[in-house]
Amino acid sequence: MKHLTPANSKAKAFVEAQAEGREDEVVAMNSLVGCTTSFDPGWEVDAFGALSNLCQPMEADLYGCADPCWWPAQVADTLNTYPNWSDDATNVTEDWRNLQSVFPEPKG
Amino acid sequence: MMTCNRTLSLLLAGGMALSAVPAVAKDYILAPARPNKLVIVDTEAMAIDKVITLAEDAGPQPTVPVVDDEGRFAYVTINRTESIVKVDLTTGETVARTDFSSAGERVKTLFGMDLSPDGSTLAVYQSPVTLGTTHYEVQPTRIAFVDTATLETVKTVEAPRQITLLMYSADGTKIYGMGRSMFVFDAASGDQIDEMPIHGWKPDAYMQPDVLDVWSQFESSNIMVTPFYTARTDLSLDDPEAWRTGMLTLDLESGEMEMQDIRMMDVFYFSSAASPDGTRVYGAYNVLESFDMEKVEPLKRVALPHSYYSVNVSSDGNTVWLGGALSDLAAYDAETLERKGQVDMPGGAAMSLSNIRLFQRDE
Repeated sequence: MKHLTPANSKAKAFVEAQAEGREDEVVAMNSLVGCTTSFDPGWEVDAFGALSNLCQPMEADLYGCADPCWWPAQVADTLNTYPNWSDDATNVTEDWRNLQSVFPEPKG
Repeated sequence: MMTCNRTLSLLLAGGMALSAVPAVAKDYILAPARPNKLVIVDTEAMAIDKVITLAEDAGPQPTVPVVDDEGRFAYVTINRTESIVKVDLTTGETVARTDFSSAGERVKTLFGMDLSPDGSTLAVYQSPVTLGTTHYEVQPTRIAFVDTATLETVKTVEAPRQITLLMYSADGTKIYGMGRSMFVFDAASGDQIDEMPIHGWKPDAYMQPDVLDVWSQFESSNIMVTPFYTARTDLSLDDPEAWRTGMLTLDLESGEMEMQDIRMMDVFYFSSAASPDGTRVYGAYNVLESFDMEKVEPLKRVALPHSYYSVNVSSDGNTVWLGGALSDLAAYDAETLERKGQVDMPGGAAMSLSNIRLFQRDE
């Protein structure tokens, strides 16, 4: 391995695991993974193609989507990845401005 | 769920044996609020009775509480549903805790938890995931049986995936798990003993029903009821009448489950609850609507000032309580659906998807 340099996070994990004799634990990803299995529409448009059956106001649904990792592309996932996302917005109606965008941690 | 029956027994026993003035059971609400609060509400005074602060890591949102018959202890899922605490509602102290996750395995309970009628056991639905070095491995879902005295897990039994709610039968002999079907388990062994179709309901007449229910709110009626959505197969989908709302009811006393087409689908209800006598069902989300379950038809609908996820019915059947999503519990007259008042959570703390539970205490 001395002539090879890991180029991504998976390769780096392999090198680290190899040093600990655990290289068998590094496996190729064979399917899309994530904490959600929900692909239904409903954040931007309701099932009737309109807006009136979305949560009113939209702040009412922020934590209902964040806490169970329902729509992690639209609302940060507080179930696993960003548990402190709402720490500064207990009162979501008043404090929603404290809810920030989130970005994946750099890997590798 | 046995509070009403138990209280009735106590009243009868007290009256016959002592001819004394029986204690009066009073309704309280237990509402989890962000980030780590349990709020007890006196429904008669329509005011907060006590605010309990749980552990720092209870947040971001305590999710599913269940209260024992005496109204003394609550068992609550916390820590992103990976832990359960036993809380003394009179002192506010956390008297026991269990953490289901370990270094190599993350265990979420999400929404399925119920207390056995004898108060001895919690049935908890678990979704475990093994955390590998660079990958996760989803493990079989299971029901854990937890001793309420110690919060130790006595045993776990594999159970079908995608179960949201767990409910003990009123006699404590069965556990119902609502998923793609209503699965029935023997409460003692954990073995699956029956399966009643939900997705497979009347496939010739209706399309596969869509059910979303993560709210345990059957304690005043012993009836689990959830809305479902479907479409008739004999009509064109261009016809608005083809799209249907139904009500799924599971009587926890008799074990009888029914799915009934109740109206055209023009709005959603996130959850529903039945009146103690079972004749009415109330659905809530952006509207509150009452349904006559004897005639199987809608009765009355009112608009709500904002979305509420959760609905519960008082023990006397006169008041419908709404909660969840934002930060107020709202009381509505069960007959007229007129708003009677509201109780705000301290600091405007949101309730998110928490289950808003009703319990009784003798005064």
